Amino acid sequence: MSQIIFEHISKTYGATAALRDLCLEFPDKMTTAVVGTSGSGKSTLLQHINGLVLPSRGVVKVFEEPIDYARLRQLRLRIGYAVQGSGLFPHLTAKQNITLLARLQKWERPRLEARAEELMRLVNLPLDYAPRYPHELSGGEQQRVGLCRAMMLDPPIFLLDEAFGALDPITRGEVHEEFLRLQRAAPRTVVLVTHDVREALKLGDYLVVLSKGELQQAGPCEEVVASPATEFVRQFLRTQLET
Amino acid sequence: MVHPATWLLAPLLLGFFLAAGGTAAGKPIIIGSKQFNESYILGEAMAQVLEARGYRVQRRLGLGGTLICFEALRSREIDLYPEYTGTIEQAILKLPRHATRETLNDKLREAYGLRLLRPFGFNNTYALALPEDLASRLGIAAISDLMRFPNLRMAFSHEFMERQDGWPGLAAAYRLATKPTGIQHGLAYQAIQERTIDVTDVYSTDGDIEKYRLAVLRDDKEFFPQYLAAPFAHLGVDEQVAAVVNELQGKISDAAMRRANAQVLLKGATFAEAAGSLLREIGVAQATRERRDGAFWLTLLLQTVTHLKLTLIALLAAMLVAMPLGVLVYRLQRLSRPIIYAAGLLQTIPSIALLAFMIPFFGIGVKPAIVALSLYALLPILRNTATALFSIDPLLKRVSIGMGMTTWQRLRHIELPLAAPTIMAGIKTAAVINVGTATLAAFIGAGGLGEPIVTGLALNDSAIILRGAIPAALLAVLTEFAFEVLERRLVPRHLLQRLGA
Ligand SMILES: Nc1ncnc2c1ncn2[C@@H]1O[C@H](COP(=O)(O)OP(=O)(O)O)[C@@H](O)[C@H]1O
Ligand SMILES: [Mg+2]
Repeated sequence: MSQIIFEHISKTYGATAALRDLCLEFPDKMTTAVVGTSGSGKSTLLQHINGLVLPSRGVVKVFEEPIDYARLRQLRLRIGYAVQGSGLFPHLTAKQNITLLARLQKWERPRLEARAEELMRLVNLPLDYAPRYPHELSGGEQQRVGLCRAMMLDPPIFLLDEAFGALDPITRGEVHEEFLRLQRAAPRTVVLVTHDVREALKLGDYLVVLSKGELQQAGPCEEVVASPATEFVRQFLRTQLET
Repeated sequence: MVHPATWLLAPLLLGFFLAAGGTAAGKPIIIGSKQFNESYILGEAMAQVLEARGYRVQRRLGLGGTLICFEALRSREIDLYPEYTGTIEQAILKLPRHATRETLNDKLREAYGLRLLRPFGFNNTYALALPEDLASRLGIAAISDLMRFPNLRMAFSHEFMERQDGWPGLAAAYRLATKPTGIQHGLAYQAIQERTIDVTDVYSTDGDIEKYRLAVLRDDKEFFPQYLAAPFAHLGVDEQVAAVVNELQGKISDAAMRRANAQVLLKGATFAEAAGSLLREIGVAQATRERRDGAFWLTLLLQTVTHLKLTLIALLAAMLVAMPLGVLVYRLQRLSRPIIYAAGLLQTIPSIALLAFMIPFFGIGVKPAIVALSLYALLPILRNTATALFSIDPLLKRVSIGMGMTTWQRLRHIELPLAAPTIMAGIKTAAVINVGTATLAAFIGAGGLGEPIVTGLALNDSAIILRGAIPAALLAVLTEFAFEVLERRLVPRHLLQRLGA
């Protein structure tokens, strides 16, 4: 059974339907890329997984159980979360951002230091950047710090919401490579939201296409590209891949 | 639910019971006065007579105005202070004019538990005055004599020109046809000395009347209300004490009071010295008491320390209340409007009224001053705390929740640190406001740099006013500066710049 399962999920904000009757299974230890136009409900979908958004109808199962909304914190500590523009806390240094959760979990100092160092090496962040504040780092470096922070407690599930969106093409390429290296070294269940189909195909194993809150197609990347299930998917892939 | 004020009242009520029997038994008699010349001198005179009869006396002179003194007396924070029949009639009891002392006392006893003892003798009311030589040359002794000289140049203070018990009523009562001009009260004496005007309005016991050699005209139709000064006491003050103070009954004439006022105003005597020679003059024994004014710098230092103490304690108290309240407002957004409006409302209460309001709960002195100051400091801190928390980047809020931080952890590690620069700015504003407002604390006997200001105002002596005003202004600037240093220490620079600070 998959670690993340959506059963008939609908979400409405007032009169707007953000998601419509979504049934999905996210394959374990693989990267699922969620694509769609802006406003199609990608972020809403992602935030159902860590309980930031409550479904209007349906059940979200994470770690093989329906989410217990009274105990969200325990769940969230096991789910890494990184967003566009890094979401780093400006009053904390790179190191403090990375180790924040571990400090709150009362990790021993040596363990904490070792883990932070390991992660920074993993994403190619020079160790002497540790005392810098976010504004003293480039966009790519901030993004890497954001990834380290999300990985600090070594969560089995990893959620990325346009996490690479604000980077210039070259940095973006580098971060992509690092991401793939990490996944190869220690695969985990990743859900990656992006509006960029190229990025989705490069990083993802599995593809989910949304349009106006409705699921258009879900399946292994090659399969979706080879045989689009709807006219929308065909058009969407073609326009995005041509340019 | 029990109203919180009840808890404040309970110990106070207990205090009443304990105090009720205790006035004679060793507890000092507390004498108050308002913050003008004559009131200080009369307060001193009562104090010195009591001391001469062996009573222990505590002076709380220079309290701010009728409202404060009246509240302090009612709460038995003071036992006696000099008050005027006219003020009691008009301002306190709001009676029609010309009530007898018996009528006043009946009402006072019934409504407030207070009584007015025997008047000192003089009547400090509006009067008309003109140069002595002119008066004797023309043979003018009473106001009705003015009818014969319609060409005399009259100039009256603007207030006197306006009030119904001023010129309009007077002119009608005496059928005076002269057209007076308006003049600022402070300038009238000089104008009369330079003979650019002949007649002006005065208070009948003004020390200036002596200085400028003016004749005060008799109010032969008894038009002006009577302002007879008398000791004002609460009913807990026992008969022996009342009897001692009543020794002054009828002994102080208008002229004697004028001379005592002039002594302070023109000859630089202290209030205690003026009261002493007044008592000597009227033949009532006075205690030989030495009141040494401490060295200038020492006094200034002590006043500054008190001032800082008031400001700091009030600021700390305000922070302890306003910051949690700001967080509460942020968490329970429904409460935000009512709470912030309430704090804003507090800010608009005039300071004297707020201070007077504190007396029944906290007495006079340092305590009510601190409470009042901290109430003023609430709004800037509360508003900045709430605003800063509300304006934190929603993305950062979402991330901190999504990471799995508890509400408390988010507050402690993310939200408060991010809000800190704005909260600091609020605290700074509150501190600077407090340093300024604390000068008013002298009105309820809390001391501080307001003390020389109050005394200086009473004496109309700007040099004394500046002794308080300059250090207070410097202190405000220093406070601002200290906070800037503190900000640079505590807040990472890039967070300050982001606020454009
Ligand atoms: N908190 C919210 N309140 C109201 N409407 C929202 C909220 N969040 C998202 N929406 C609406 O839901 C739809 C999907 O939004 P979102 O999931 O953010 O799309 P995407 O991430 O694909 O751009 C949009 O129409 C958006 O306006
Ligand atoms: Mg989105």
